[in-house]
Amino acid sequence: MCETCGCGQPDEFTIRVPGQNENNEHFHPDKQGGHYHTHSHDHEHEHDHYYEHDHQGDRVIEINKEILAENNLVAERNRGFFEGRGVLCLNLVSSPGSGKTTILEKTIRERNEGYPVSVIEGDQQSMNDAERINKTGVPVIQVNTGTGCHLDSKMVSKALKQLEVGNHGVLFIENVGNLVCPALFDLGETKRVVVMSVTEGDDKPEKYPYMFISCQLCLINKSDLLPYVDFDVDKFISVVKKINPTLEFILISAKTGEGFEKWFDWLDKNRKCHVT
Amino acid sequence: MHELSLALDVIDLVTEEAGKNSLKDVYEIHIEVGEISGVDADVFQRAMEIVLKNSSLGKAKVKIRKTPGIGRCTACDKDFSVSDFLACCPGCNGYPSEIIGGKELRVTSIIGE
Repeated sequence: MCETCGCGQPDEFTIRVPGQNENNEHFHPDKQGGHYHTHSHDHEHEHDHYYEHDHQGDRVIEINKEILAENNLVAERNRGFFEGRGVLCLNLVSSPGSGKTTILEKTIRERNEGYPVSVIEGDQQSMNDAERINKTGVPVIQVNTGTGCHLDSKMVSKALKQLEVGNHGVLFIENVGNLVCPALFDLGETKRVVVMSVTEGDDKPEKYPYMFISCQLCLINKSDLLPYVDFDVDKFISVVKKINPTLEFILISAKTGEGFEKWFDWLDKNRKCHVT
Repeated sequence: MHELSLALDVIDLVTEEAGKNSLKDVYEIHIEVGEISGVDADVFQRAMEIVLKNSSLGKAKVKIRKTPGIGRCTACDKDFSVSDFLACCPGCNGYPSEIIGGKELRVTSIIGE
């Protein structure tokens, strides 16, 4: 339940900037941009018999609308925002604990050129990740999804209004750690990057194919631990190729820095493609 | 879990369409859920029921039609049934296949007065 107004909408979320913890913006998405409550109808049980009625005036209205149409529409608006500013927007998805935030910290501190970087952090609760990114000195905003299991395009759109996003730079969106739900929700990103750590087991693509299908790059993280785990990189790549033949792979370690040159080159190549 | 937020999107979509069509009450919401859409049709059905109870569409029942997964082999152009993304073409055992059915996730119609 929403702690500010008690309305109990399950898709409530909050947006916070590090250092301004008490100034919680409170937003319930709806079409009017306002705030509505859908529980005025508190006597629904009296209507359980409605099928026995002969509804002479019933009409069939053909709709044929995608359920994700609203999300996809806002995602396209976000995409236009990024394209207009020449911003490469990357949606980072993974299981919890794959090392997304550590990769981001290292990427921001050691990137090849001084291009602008900003970050949207998505988690159910806490400011932990935004505070870690804040220490690197780049603009960051935290979206807490509350009970939600993924970021959606409206949350990103709302966050963008409060975040400084530099022209011709990179915006990283660190999605909620979850290999299932974020796969379905387009945020308007330029590319989607799945982070996979070698401690997770190489059969993840078979178990969670939707995520691996929807991505363009896979960062295989914690490569320094390969000697100690049973993760078979070749087997992993061959399975993923069956479900997504065009996915690119970079083996990295956010601890030792292995593979980061390739990752930085990938960022530069895609940033420049996007600018032109 | 994402079924719940999709259910809320359906409420918004149907409320808007009902308003546009001057429907006072909505009795049925017909939805198509593809076999490989990433949405579990049974979980979605329950999510819809929970969300409808607390909405202004409390009279509506949800009718979900599951649509089958169909792949088309990019090598031999054959269509075949798929229930996961690892399915290979039964004709030539080839990968990859293009998914041409089963990713549907849409409200097809509503009935009301």
